Amino acid sequence: MATHILFESASGYAVFEVKLKEEVAAMSKAVQQSIQDLAKFGKMVSLVSFSPFKSAAHALENANDVSEGTVNEDLKSLLELNLSKPSKGSRIVLGVSETILANSIKSTLGISCDTSDSTAELIRGIRFHASKLLKGLQADDLTKAQLGLGHSYSRAKLKFNVNRIDNMII
Amino acid sequence: KPGGARGGSNVIIEPHKHAGIFIAKGKEQLLVTKNLVPGESVYGEKRISVDGPEGTKTEYRVWNPFRSKLAAGVLGGIEDIFIAPGKKVLYLGAASGTSVSHVADIVGPEGTVYAVEFSPRSGRDLINMAKKRTNVIPIVEDARFPHKYRMLLASVDVIFADVAQPDQARIVAHNAHSFLKVGGHVVISIKANCIDSTAPAEVVFSREVQALRAEKFKPLEQITLEPYERDHAMVTAQYVRY
Repeated sequence: MATHILFESASGYAVFEVKLKEEVAAMSKAVQQSIQDLAKFGKMVSLVSFSPFKSAAHALENANDVSEGTVNEDLKSLLELNLSKPSKGSRIVLGVSETILANSIKSTLGISCDTSDSTAELIRGIRFHASKLLKGLQADDLTKAQLGLGHSYSRAKLKFNVNRIDNMII
Repeated sequence: KPGGARGGSNVIIEPHKHAGIFIAKGKEQLLVTKNLVPGESVYGEKRISVDGPEGTKTEYRVWNPFRSKLAAGVLGGIEDIFIAPGKKVLYLGAASGTSVSHVADIVGPEGTVYAVEFSPRSGRDLINMAKKRTNVIPIVEDARFPHKYRMLLASVDVIFADVAQPDQARIVAHNAHSFLKVGGHVVISIKANCIDSTAPAEVVFSREVQALRAEKFKPLEQITLEPYERDHAMVTAQYVRY
């Protein structure tokens, strides 16, 4: 069971603390309904830190790294800052969306990671309430960031595609 | 004639039963959507400009059911497409974005279309279309790996899929697990040949519906896309999850 959750958005990285102590029966109707209810979900997770990307180029660089499952310097410093203090004597387990990034975090930072179903469930909930949970963001800021990043990410995909098939010689 | 804005007062526009879609009644009846970017066609489709009160004009684009599976489904009488003004739609298999542009018209400026296409050649056209339509977020990436584009997505109300891959149901389920709201819907176009060319179409369709059931979807409706497409079905389902 994760103690923290990493959420990667188009606007920046966020780290949440999981306040539930017991394993959730994720698929039960009651749990699904409380995840959808912001008041109840707010009691399950709380935002520890949100670090917005400084520029569009910066966001693209991070999006490429997240997509490939490598730990960007920004992510590294955010996690070091927020998770490298085992002062309470409790172990930190970071919930991550997928295993490749989880393994990279584990090997570069030594933080244990979790990619179980209950983590996925919490990330679904964070995505559902994202614009309200990420402090300092307006409702449509996230959509604007997604739009800008979608274009730059996709353009970069075309530019650097090594298997490009459309170099036609006529 | 591309862009031939015929119509004027001879054409009457009536709303279709699905919000955001219209029927243009002139010499013939045409399915149309309200052009989000008046004055421009996306792929050479006809535009119809209609005079409103006090000299106002509204422009509609003709939506060809032979070129868009979703339009074929709408004309085929599908009960609900769940794509409506203000909705967030994840569109898998966006291709060059011709059909996506009509979905963008339907959801309007308050909605968003996340359009995923893996082929770089189609992706280029998709990006160019999205430059004009700012409610379309182009994503050139493989729909099989939703985690690769997780940073670009919000929770969505509807997933529309036209990926023509044998493992389509799995691809849709994979995306739904990450991005589809509880109680959200999927609309899937199934091409029997792409999934299993040896089995009869009906068998393929029912197998796909079964595959959806196993992934926590509740199938709602199934229609064929005749006469616009052969051996195609459109299936809608609700994402129940519990």
